[in-house]
Amino acid sequence: MTLTLADGTSFLAPADAAGREAAIEALRGLYREWGYQRIEVPALERLDESRPRSGKSFKLVDRDGGVLALRSDFTPALANYVRTNHPAVAAGAAVPLRLSYDGLVWHAIDPELARGREFTQVGIELVGVSNARADAELIHLARESVRLMGLTPRVEVGNPAFVSRLFDAAEVSAEARLALADAIDRKDTSDVLALVARYGLRGKVADALVAVPDLYGDAAVIEQARELAPDGPSAEAVERLAGVVEEFEDPSELMLDFGLARRLSYYTGVTFRVYTFDFGQPLLGGGRYDGALLPRAAGFALGLGRLLAAANGAARQQAAEAELVVSLDDAGARRLRLEGYRVARALVADPNAARAEAVAMGARYLHSGGGLLDLRDGAAGGEEDGGASGDDDGDSSGGDGD
Amino acid sequence: MTVTEQPGQPGKRPLVLALPKGRVLAQAVARLREAGLPVDLTSGERAMRHESAAATVLLMRNADVPAYVDLGVADAGVVGRDVLLESGSRLYVPVDLGVGVCRIALIRPLGATGPLRRVASKYPRITAAYLARNAIPAEVIALTGNVELACVSGLADAVVDVVETGATLAANDLAEVDVIATSSARLVVNRAAMKLKAEALRPLIARLRTFPRS
Repeated sequence: MTLTLADGTSFLAPADAAGREAAIEALRGLYREWGYQRIEVPALERLDESRPRSGKSFKLVDRDGGVLALRSDFTPALANYVRTNHPAVAAGAAVPLRLSYDGLVWHAIDPELARGREFTQVGIELVGVSNARADAELIHLARESVRLMGLTPRVEVGNPAFVSRLFDAAEVSAEARLALADAIDRKDTSDVLALVARYGLRGKVADALVAVPDLYGDAAVIEQARELAPDGPSAEAVERLAGVVEEFEDPSELMLDFGLARRLSYYTGVTFRVYTFDFGQPLLGGGRYDGALLPRAAGFALGLGRLLAAANGAARQQAAEAELVVSLDDAGARRLRLEGYRVARALVADPNAARAEAVAMGARYLHSGGGLLDLRDGAAGGEEDGGASGDDDGDSSGGDGD
Repeated sequence: MTVTEQPGQPGKRPLVLALPKGRVLAQAVARLREAGLPVDLTSGERAMRHESAAATVLLMRNADVPAYVDLGVADAGVVGRDVLLESGSRLYVPVDLGVGVCRIALIRPLGATGPLRRVASKYPRITAAYLARNAIPAEVIALTGNVELACVSGLADAVVDVVETGATLAANDLAEVDVIATSSARLVVNRAAMKLKAEALRPLIARLRTFPRS
């Protein structure tokens, strides 16, 4: 039989599924405690080419010939939910709305190394407010989400508005913006120098563009950015990030970077990514996208599989599984379940066959009319002591099965 | 220096570098040493992994460097700009090491003027992007070996390949028709490592930028 899984999809064995479930529960709990309300949105959507990342969607043809898409990103769906259910907020009312979500997304990409095409995202959106306190709340919760998995977070925080305002000040073409943003985001200073020369940029704004890829580090870079800012709007972008940093009593877990310039047409304000030690990929990313889908909105999404991979199965170990019992007695099984055991019904009536079934399933106990038989050291078939717990009237395993 | 800490927790571990086997290796190692990182490749010619107190060096094929650095198996690496352009990677590229200088060019037989129908290359993505940019509706053939042969044998009307001195081209009656990009060896850095190992990487980057190029 050949492997029939679609590229970029995978099975989850029971232990991994349990670890994932525990992690989702923990994250849902965190967001709930902070006043976020969980909603669910359809996985099947009408294709909307104007949406960010719509190029990544798997497409399906509807009965009437219309094109549907499998959800490739939660944020547009949540924005749609807000427009439908909170039209005042969608129209610009300054009412904070806190939403959380989790579920599968699908990306129709080449299944590259270590990048699945079907994966679980968990995230939150804080809609209706745009200020440093809101940005800081999201960064705080991003950090806590990673801590919840037993990992030490380090948050990269930037404000792509700074680079955008530099482009405004330089009055460069759309083509130059794209090329410069790409070079700046890759911290490719030699490329930036070449582009600054090609587009004939000079003066303070050219100096700022060349310096901005190296403008990362602790809070000290804020002062450097203040000195580099060539005009009012760029200085404002610096102060917004400074305002976010001031919201933190201990900013040591924050790594500032004024050179963040990814997806400039989407992210309009403070953006962030969370990393941890010895794991070379970001665990979580998000930021502010005022005006892109809603007047005021920011949020983040984390890839659950990647977070769990980084946590190295930590969540799995926390969820110690209850012992499995295979039972020939349905009434007794109910009682055992109430006591906290996991109890599967034996699917054969013969006690010896039931015992073989229990051993094959890796069960700890066989339960018959009388009591629990511990199977750990008796797999060879010898008759051993009966009730390992509770029940005192331990008949031997043979019992009175049928 | 200890490497026994829990994953996901802070700790001091030596840098891991992905370096390409081949011509650029010796020059890259020389530049790193000049910049104060005493990398050591004395574990023997055939070793794939060289450990020293300063850094662990992984030796690999040029084209594999971006994957190792992108996934964070290596913190940083050295790779040609040609490979980066072809891989479309989003790695940090903070330093042009100024060695392994070459250009990526469109090459045709001397005097060829006919339309381009088939172009062979080790760089299918760069080639496709170049053809699209110039609105040339030609087919791209991805090859791995000696692509000049494709041109000489008539498999393709043109090839896209690296040119260093042009001697190979002249010997085969081929001519460089257009320069698509220039390339040289670059220091690439993993996005997480750039920030989490800034203590080691920042000074290294600063010194690599200031040291005179050989």
